[in-house]
Parts: sequence; C-alpha cells; structure tokens
Amino acid sequence: MDETVAEYIRRTVLKIPKDEIKMMLQKWGFLSEAQLQTLNFQQIKDNISQEIVQLCEENSADIKQAAVLDIIYNHIYQNKRMWSVYQMKKSGEELEYFDITDFKKKFKRRLRSALKNVTITFKEYEDNAIWIRVAWGTPHKKPNQYKPSYVVYHSQTPYVFISSSVLKSTLPLLCQALIVASNYHDIREMELRSHSLNSLKDIVFKRYSQNFQTCTPKPLQGGNVEPENADIRIVEENRSEKERIHRLNQEVFGSGPLPQLEFAQYRLETMFKSDPKLDVLDKKEPFRCLVKFSSPHLLESLKSLAPAGMADAPLSPLLTCIPHKARNYFKIREKKGLYPESFVSP
Amino acid sequence: EKADPQKTAFLLRKAWTLYSVTPLYGFCRARLRDYARLLGAFIAAEKQKGLAVEVGVELDIKVALSSLADIRGSELDQAALLVQLSSRSRSSSRNSEDKPVWLGWFCSVFGDELSESVPEHFTCLPLFLSHGAESYTALVGSWFQKTFDCCFRRLAISPLNLSWMVAMWAGCKLDRAASAVELVFSVPRLAQPLDISYAIHPEDAKALWDTVQKTPGEITHEEVDVFMDCLYAHFHRHFKIHLSAAKLVKISTAVASAHCDGIVKILHSQYLPGVLMLLTELAISQIQ
Repeated sequence: MDETVAEYIRRTVLKIPKDEIKMMLQKWGFLSEAQLQTLNFQQIKDNISQEIVQLCEENSADIKQAAVLDIIYNHIYQNKRMWSVYQMKKSGEELEYFDITDFKKKFKRRLRSALKNVTITFKEYEDNAIWIRVAWGTPHKKPNQYKPSYVVYHSQTPYVFISSSVLKSTLPLLCQALIVASNYHDIREMELRSHSLNSLKDIVFKRYSQNFQTCTPKPLQGGNVEPENADIRIVEENRSEKERIHRLNQEVFGSGPLPQLEFAQYRLETMFKSDPKLDVLDKKEPFRCLVKFSSPHLLESLKSLAPAGMADAPLSPLLTCIPHKARNYFKIREKKGLYPESFVSP
Repeated sequence: EKADPQKTAFLLRKAWTLYSVTPLYGFCRARLRDYARLLGAFIAAEKQKGLAVEVGVELDIKVALSSLADIRGSELDQAALLVQLSSRSRSSSRNSEDKPVWLGWFCSVFGDELSESVPEHFTCLPLFLSHGAESYTALVGSWFQKTFDCCFRRLAISPLNLSWMVAMWAGCKLDRAASAVELVFSVPRLAQPLDISYAIHPEDAKALWDTVQKTPGEITHEEVDVFMDCLYAHFHRHFKIHLSAAKLVKISTAVASAHCDGIVKILHSQYLPGVLMLLTELAISQIQ
C-alpha cells in the first residue's frame, strides 16, 4: 500500500470521534466484520488508527477506497464545511432522463481532459443526492488529498451545493464538468452560503413551511404570548400590540421550523436621509455601509426581535425575503422614482 | 508632546487589556533594576510553588523595567513605566536570544486630575495595559499590589464611552487609505443570540461627523448623540431594527479599536497620545 495512502487513512481516522470510528468503518465496508472485531477501541486514538492502517494494508487499500472513507466522514460532518449554492440552467425545455452512469462518465472525462492528476470519487445517498469528491493535482504533481472539493448534486433538480477547495482556480473546472455531465448549458453562483447544508436544501427546495396570508384573523394560538392570567383584575398592557406582532410574525415567517442560516450580509449603497432640522449630511452620493447579521440560527433570531421590542413589526422585507429569495448576500441600492423609501436588490 | 514614533511602534497593533491602578506608594524611579530583580524572584518562587505558567517546559523568566519618557501628557504626568517578561529556555545555548513573553505598561496622559489630589510619596500611573498570558498579568499585578499597596481593576468600557470613541476617531483626518468605521452590536437575551456588524465607509463616516461637529477641536455629548442617532436612523430605515436598544460591544476605526471588556488596539502612532488621554480619563473615573 502506498505510504501516502496509509498516511491519509491514518489522518482521516484521527478526525473521527473515538466512539464513532467503528460505525464509520462499517459504513465504509472496506474492512470485514471479522477484521473490525480484532480492533481494540479502548486504546488511544493514535493506536486505533495505526491498527486500522495495518488492516487496510492487508486489504491493499488504494486512494480510491480512502477517498470513499473521506466522503463518509464529510457526509456525516457536513456542517463543518461552508457550502455555496449553484443553479444550473438548461437551454431547452425537455427534461431528459437522468442516467447516473452517463453522468459519472462525462464528469470524469471532462475533468481529466483538463487536468490529468485528479482523484474523482462518487457516492450516492438516499435522497437522490450524489456526493462527488475531487482532489486536485497539477500536471507535475499528484493530487493533494487534503484540500479536496466536495459537490452535492441532487439529480432531479438544477441545484448543486459546493464546498470549495481552497485552491480557487479549481472552481471553474468543477463547474464546467458539472454542466457538461448533467446536460445543462450554464451554471451560476447564487448569493446563498451556509454551514448547514440541510438548511440550504430546505431553502432552495422550498421544504420549509412558507408564509401564508390568512383571509380572516386567526384566533390566538399561544406561542410567543403569555398565557391568560387567572386573576382577571390583572390586565396585560399592550396586549393587542403583542397579538398584532405575533400575527405578523406568523404571516411572514410561518409557524413551522425555519431553515438554519448563520449569517446574512447587506452591502448598502443608498442615500443618507435625515431630519432637515438636524442640519447634517446632505450628500448626493450614497452612504456606503456593509451590514452583517450573525447568529447560530439567524431566521429564528430575526423572528424574535419584534416580540422582544427590538424591532418594528412587520420586520423589513430586506430580512424577511431571505428564505424565499434564496439568498443571504445582498447589494441594496436606492430605487429611483416615485417611492424613494423602497429599495432594490439587483 | 509628540512621542518618537520609532520608540512607540511596539505599542501599536497589539491587543492591550486595560486596568485602572490606584496610586503606587513608595515607588522610586531610581530603583527600577532592584524592582526587576525582586519581581523576577517573585515569579520564580511562585512557579516553584506549582503555579507554573507552562507545564513541562523549563523556562526562566527574565524581568526588565524601564521608563518610557516620551509617553506622558504634560510635565505633571509621570513617565510611563514598561515591564517586560522574556524567557530563555534552559536547554538552549548561552547565546540564544530572550523571547518576549509578556508586556505591560503603566501610564498617565494628562492625568492631572488624579496626580493633583494625592499626597506625597504616591506615584500616579492610573492606566495599565497588558499583552500576553493572563497568568503572567496576575503574577505581575499581585507583586505590584503587594509591593506598592495599590489596586488593579479591569477597566470595562461602557457603550456610552464606545460611542464617544467611534465618533471622535471617525472624524480623524488620516493621510492614507483608512479602514472602515465598524460598530458591533450584540443582542444576547434572545433565544438565539444575534450579532450585528455595521461597517461604514471611512470617508462617508467622516463626512457625516464633519457636519455634526460644530467646533473643531471640541466634542460635546450632544454631537456624539446626534452622530449615533444618524447611524441608528439610517439602519432603522432599512431594517426596522432599533439598534439603540442593542448593546454596543465593540468599535473599530483606522485610529484604534476598542471592546467593551476593556481591550484596545491602537493602530496609528499619530493619535497615540489622544487615545491614551481618553483611556487615562476612563481609568481615573473608575478609581474615583
């Protein structure tokens, strides 16, 4: 077995939490159950990893198999990576039948014609997701297995999720290979990024509960508002305001779980406007700002701002449009014309 | 007085943790070598006791105390006092260089308010800045406290003071391309905490401040309020969020950055005295 392969397997195993190693090796299926039984999981990880490498040696593991183990690890720990979303465009109307073998063949051929030294690995998962791992080399160097790109392609959709290698020049090659292999003619990056791959899928596949307009005001359903006090002499202040905020929040955000995003970024190029009495800045040029919101669960956080008294209800459409516009990067310019208060996002 | 930029360059671009220090009793500027030796012995003794900073690594800590004559506001201020801790690994050769491990300095820039009010034998250096491991800061701090009967306290910076800083420093004229004026807010009490970074192009922030400030060289509370209100209003116009209700935790400009936990980075030598003057004032408020 190649020394570099051995080292790669050793380092991959070291990343795995000790109590999950056996499970991952079973998913991998490269070592037999009998071999797995011989492993002593009570030792320190360094030693476990060495034993595993030895077993792989017995089975003559090559880089292809090692790459599959890496995909398995990254599939389970997908949230450690930052994912960007790409949308592919078809020229014609016809929905061709998707043939996975054809896809893989075309993908490999396209990449290899551009770059001889690449390691390409595929793994299919239940939800029609095809995981692709590509390790990049140069005409003179073998592929760097430690800086691969990962692609998740849902074949029934035009969407691709890419966790790019730090080697920036590889991205165009990757995109080219994807559209050739999937019979699309163009691909564009959406302004949507997150660590939570599932949330990105929720947003583009519209899998979250969307806002709905109710024709008649719904009776209060609990949720953000305090329960009725037993003592009728105690009247809640601002009750109607609280109810209004709650209703508006429901309308805008829906009542189900929201996709989990960690940030949203707005590049503002709008005019600065102020009370003329203040006698301050009155420039004809934009007041340039960059605003970034961050939270472990951004949409839930924004939803709770109005009930907390931190924001007006309804919240600004710049924030509430994030899921259905499927983006978390925005450039906002002033809309010219009759309604200077509204903004356009190109 | 202008400090020699060469001598003070090492103070720039480092994150300093701020403390207020009550006046030192019985401090004698001529005895710096003695103090260095005593502090060195104290640190060595504490390490023997098992309060070692680094486990498993044999390090001798060397202490150096020096005066920074250039860092003061007026003649009434004491010159700044610098404490340097460096290490020399016991295993390396005699000629190996000492590695700086920790830095701390005491200063007073226009701290007359305090120095005028203390009796004889007291030395006023109300502002202390440290850079390096917290454990060393604790050792140095406790030696000074024991030896000069003074008291160190972490200097927190309130949102009000952060607003002053951002308004003041956003208005500074800078010769080269400046970095953005950034305000960082935190809304912690939500179920999912939210952080908001609001960064303004430095030219636009300065243009705004220039129209707010009525008298050059003077800044009033009202002007800082107007400046902040303008920024809040612009933000509200877009996002319908009341930034004024969030907690301002950090500000950053091309001159300096400051965090509410009392951590400051000074980026521009031209404004070093100005920044130190403001920080000295904060330290004195905390002492009194």
